[in-house]
Amino acid sequence: MRAIAFSIAAVLVLVGLYLGLGGASYAPAKVADPCVTRSWRSPHGFEAVAEQIVLSSVDGAACHLHVSREDMVLALANADTRQQFVREHHITNAELESLVRNGLKRSIADAQNAGALNSTVAGILRGVVGNIPIDELLNLLQRLRGF
Amino acid sequence: MQPLAPRNRIALLGLSVGLVLADSSVVTLALPRILVQFDVEVSTLAWALVSFNLALALAAVPAAMLARRRPVGVFGVSTVVFALASFSCAFSPTFGVLVALRAVQGVAGAAVVVAALDLLSEVTEGDASAARIWALAGVVGASLGPAIGGILTQLFGWESIFLLQAPLALLGLLVLSGLRVQPVPAPAERPEIAANVALLLVSGALVAALFLLVILLINGWRLEPLAAGLVVTIMPLAAIAATRVAGGIRPPWTRAASGAILISGGLAALGWLPHAGVVWTILPQIAIGTGLGLALSALTQRALAGRSGQAVHGGWTIAARHAGIVLGLLLLTPIFTSGLDRNEHRALAAGTAAVLDSRISPLDKIGVARDVLVAVDKAQADAKIPDVRAVVGHRDDSAYADLGDALQDQLDRAVTNAFSNSFLVSALLGLLALIPIVLGRKEVGV
Repeated sequence: MRAIAFSIAAVLVLVGLYLGLGGASYAPAKVADPCVTRSWRSPHGFEAVAEQIVLSSVDGAACHLHVSREDMVLALANADTRQQFVREHHITNAELESLVRNGLKRSIADAQNAGALNSTVAGILRGVVGNIPIDELLNLLQRLRGF
Repeated sequence: MQPLAPRNRIALLGLSVGLVLADSSVVTLALPRILVQFDVEVSTLAWALVSFNLALALAAVPAAMLARRRPVGVFGVSTVVFALASFSCAFSPTFGVLVALRAVQGVAGAAVVVAALDLLSEVTEGDASAARIWALAGVVGASLGPAIGGILTQLFGWESIFLLQAPLALLGLLVLSGLRVQPVPAPAERPEIAANVALLLVSGALVAALFLLVILLINGWRLEPLAAGLVVTIMPLAAIAATRVAGGIRPPWTRAASGAILISGGLAALGWLPHAGVVWTILPQIAIGTGLGLALSALTQRALAGRSGQAVHGGWTIAARHAGIVLGLLLLTPIFTSGLDRNEHRALAAGTAAVLDSRISPLDKIGVARDVLVAVDKAQADAKIPDVRAVVGHRDDSAYADLGDALQDQLDRAVTNAFSNSFLVSALLGLLALIPIVLGRKEVGV
């Protein structure tokens, strides 16, 4: 019986140690709720402002569709992932575009209100977002990386 | 030809038993290479293991009935068939042929193992010592299998496992020189049910340690087979050390119960790893190896103790052990694959969040994300987790290095966590073995 008692004690110490060190929660990080408003940082430079506008708009669309911001970004990665996303969420391409476009317009207004964009740049951006097809917009962003 | 000394006969019979029982797990570390070579699905790949263990489980008792009448003949013929099947495995043109040859190995291997028990009884002139040596050879073989397979795969390719097995198996034929064994009478007793059920459950639990752990090391944590093979030698070393002190633990059912508790605890610790990394597997492996050495030897000896016709009862233990391995493979594989599927999505989302929240240039984020996704796709084709640090962290900028670390951390978390439920379910199987161990404690006094 001493062997059994020793085994139980050894196992309790081992498992207790691993659980105490966070073994039960060692998993991929949970992503943030897109419906919770993220604080508007004070980014420097146009790139950083544009990033914040895009992410803020993606948050809005993701919240509307009850998915994470990250799921939305992955969905917008290319035409195939976009098609898969619209199929899975029973929406049309036009609805998805509209959600992203409206989110972008709202984020541009937020940026203007926060003083991150002046009215001229905000106006130009609104014009671009309102007219350019979503595919072109994403391609443009990817091409900009080359500069 | 000069007959061998008894000690040499015992060593060769032990080698034959260990060689066959190592075969149940020896190709585990070679599976990624076999997957790539034959281009099969992961779920199909498991049949390289299942076919051998299923054939061994089904053939063990009938083979033992046969071996009881003609132990020398059965041992000789089955050794030759096992060696031929092993040799042929190395040249399998398709995965289907490999699976079929593994089944032939299983049937022949069952006959080798059970006939060896009768031959050991003759050579040692005592059933108890024969059972002890036979059980020890089985424990050492089963626990050494993954390590030997990994080392051979890395150094010479997966085919070398089978090419080496064939001549080693044929060495066993030397035992037969000048050996005369009387047919063994049919056993009067029924099989020892409690010990065999416990063996089945413990073996099912050990699948996670002998199979899933090495897959985690190689495919999840990107260790080479040689390194993984060396890491998992901790278990056989602990098992061998445990068998040396096992005799002092009495009554034997407490030895089996202690072993089952240690196996379950070690598996639970693997299910709750606090970080990815080899160092975190060391203590669980010591617990599992010690438990394996205590439980398998105690239960096997208990199943054979005081029974006539040891080969037949040995056949029941082999059937129970390998049915347990098949049960473990069939039960744990879907749990493990569903864990991988679930965490693939979680890892992608967490990785995307890491890229979006990183300090690298906003426009570079698109390109980095694309590079990482390409690396993930490429690695999936090789059934491996990519080294995303190499993809992201090569630039001379701490922001990229931090992002590489963050992405790698999320991948490590995802893959380690994907194995968690399988280890915990196998820990439960080990705990369930306590029921027959405790219920059967008064059946046989050993």
